[in-house]
Amino acid sequence: MSSYFSKTKLFVVFCGISIIAFLTVVIVPFIYGIYLTFTNWDGIHKKYEFIGFSNYIGLLKDQVFKNSFLLTLKYVFFTVIFTNLIAFLLAYLLTSGIKGQSIFRVIFFTPNLIGGIILGFIWQFIFHNALPYLGRHLGISLISESWLATPEKAFWALVLVTVWQYSGYMMMIYIAGLVSIPQDLIEAAIIDGANKFKVLTKIIMPLMAPSFTVCLFLSLQRSFMVYDLNLALTKGGPFKSTELISMHIYNEAFLSQNYGIGQAKAFVLFITVAIITLIQVYLSKKAEVEL
Amino acid sequence: MKYKRLLISIFLVLFLINLGGGLFASSTKVKITFMSTKGEINQQLEEVFKNFSKDYPNITVELIPVGAGQSPFEKLSTMYASGNAPTIAMIDPNDVEKFKDNFLDLSNEKWTKDALKGVLDDVTFEGKVYAFPFALEGYGLIYNKQLIEKAVGKFDPNTIRTRFSLERLFKNLEAKKVTPVVISPLDWSLGAHFITIAYATQSRDYGAVKKFIADLRAGKVDLVNNKVFNDLLDTFDMLRKYNYLKDSPLAGTYEQGAQLLAQDKVAFWFMGNWAWPLIEEVNPKNRDYGFVPVPLDNNPNNFFNRSIVALPTKMLCIDTKNNSKEQQEAAKTLLNWFVYNENGQKNWVYGLNIIAPFSNVKITPNDPLAKSIVEYAKAGRTFKIPYAILPSDHWPIIGAYMQKYLAGRMDRKQLLTEIMNYWTKAK
Repeated sequence: MSSYFSKTKLFVVFCGISIIAFLTVVIVPFIYGIYLTFTNWDGIHKKYEFIGFSNYIGLLKDQVFKNSFLLTLKYVFFTVIFTNLIAFLLAYLLTSGIKGQSIFRVIFFTPNLIGGIILGFIWQFIFHNALPYLGRHLGISLISESWLATPEKAFWALVLVTVWQYSGYMMMIYIAGLVSIPQDLIEAAIIDGANKFKVLTKIIMPLMAPSFTVCLFLSLQRSFMVYDLNLALTKGGPFKSTELISMHIYNEAFLSQNYGIGQAKAFVLFITVAIITLIQVYLSKKAEVEL
Repeated sequence: MKYKRLLISIFLVLFLINLGGGLFASSTKVKITFMSTKGEINQQLEEVFKNFSKDYPNITVELIPVGAGQSPFEKLSTMYASGNAPTIAMIDPNDVEKFKDNFLDLSNEKWTKDALKGVLDDVTFEGKVYAFPFALEGYGLIYNKQLIEKAVGKFDPNTIRTRFSLERLFKNLEAKKVTPVVISPLDWSLGAHFITIAYATQSRDYGAVKKFIADLRAGKVDLVNNKVFNDLLDTFDMLRKYNYLKDSPLAGTYEQGAQLLAQDKVAFWFMGNWAWPLIEEVNPKNRDYGFVPVPLDNNPNNFFNRSIVALPTKMLCIDTKNNSKEQQEAAKTLLNWFVYNENGQKNWVYGLNIIAPFSNVKITPNDPLAKSIVEYAKAGRTFKIPYAILPSDHWPIIGAYMQKYLAGRMDRKQLLTEIMNYWTKAK
């Protein structure tokens, strides 16, 4: 009995505060948020009614929401692929022993230290002023008009800046993975006659599977939830053509004053991201090899 | 052991000082917060609050800035949601009604009698006044007189009375290699300022305008064949033709508009008097600016062809939910200081470059755009936009449609149909 008591005491001492914090700032608001999806609350008034599933039924007919969701999927697809490709290549180059590699690591990591808002404003200036200036003087028609002025180019501007920001971070994780591969395995492979490409695909990549798991998960989740960059770089414009899902939800809840509908949309987003990332983690865990 | 006792006594002394300080402070000092949604004057506001504290040393005012472009409604509703509302909130007139249960009834304040005619209409509910009109603002086509006169000779803004006369001037300017106009493709400028002129100019009677909006909601209005909407869009098409950003109409920013105007690159810019600090910053030497109205048609006797938009745009409201009685009183003191204290008037009008919507405040800001608005107001040539009855997502949504129209991705019929659809679904 006393051992049970002391165990409980230990548990409370070490986990109590974090459990209370977790409950109050994550679980309770989450459940309350789900409850609000069944109401027609507008965000400020005290009175609201319980309206069942009509918010969710409304979502099915909401073309703007669907467009925004598809756009986000497209954005996630391209950013995840490009970020990880570039990050892996950078990591591979910067562990191959070239001169000044640690300085390069720092340089490529730096964009991550700048917050999304500031970064968005910096790039807005680049796209609006710096690039068109260069484009006009050097005669490059691709950049002679602001990228943020047409919907198609504004989308690629978002992808570009996201990749630029995140690839340095993912690079660090890949470098950690690369460095932890035992050198003797690679040496053994080379002695057995494997060329560089074979070593990369048959030894290094399989052994780095844990890094891929982490990086894919992080980039997936971050791209789905992106808001700050979206806000600072394009503000969803021109004419709402680059309004990614987080921004759409925020505008629905706080600008159009449909808090209930906004919450319902947020919940749908949560479910989607949860399913996609769970599948991804499950699949890439399966690909991991134990030494 | 000695150290321990010493430490304890030090702590005890510190604690007592702290406690005494706290008691002392709470009995005499009041701290109030002020949420500002006019990003361009935040720095000046801090200065004004310091000057206020010189007159009232027991009150300090802390500024809570809201980012430019963020809607006041969203900021204030998040602040209420977190139980941390500002003592004074600066919000748009149409938001007052939504929050009015949280606001102090100001009907018995002396300044309600001195307010200019009509400025309290939109914030009075069941005979109770819930807000203090903070600024009178106006907009139209800002002209750069120096540039126009350099290019085509003497310019009298009163000669611009029709769309045709404006276009003739544009043509002359273009012949002299001066780009006539720039339209900044901002959703708030297009969606809240430009297209809303078409609601306001349906009639000179505000009641009729209100009825027009109610009919829009009910789906009873055919905008595609509405004369005023078509007139305004004809003017828009004309402006589009002479637009500096013609080749890439959505590439402009707010700052760029001010730069183009002040650096003599364009003669006209569709914007309001709030842009003055920016224009002045770019080129402090030129002070010859003013407004011409956005003309609707070719009838020189049309009232709206000779009038600009001017209305109270920012309202100050006092919170009763998260702020104590003392704080509410202090907030009232600040408002009265603005209207009745000579020092306060100067800080308000000169310090913040604001046109005060009160008849007893005789001074006007020292900037040409504000002066132009005051002139129009004196001549009775102003009208107001029915902002109070526009839904809060009107500007981003209609603004996006206007951007599409500006970029030529939507024709006029589609634009007007989308606006009609918006209204039938609007809250």
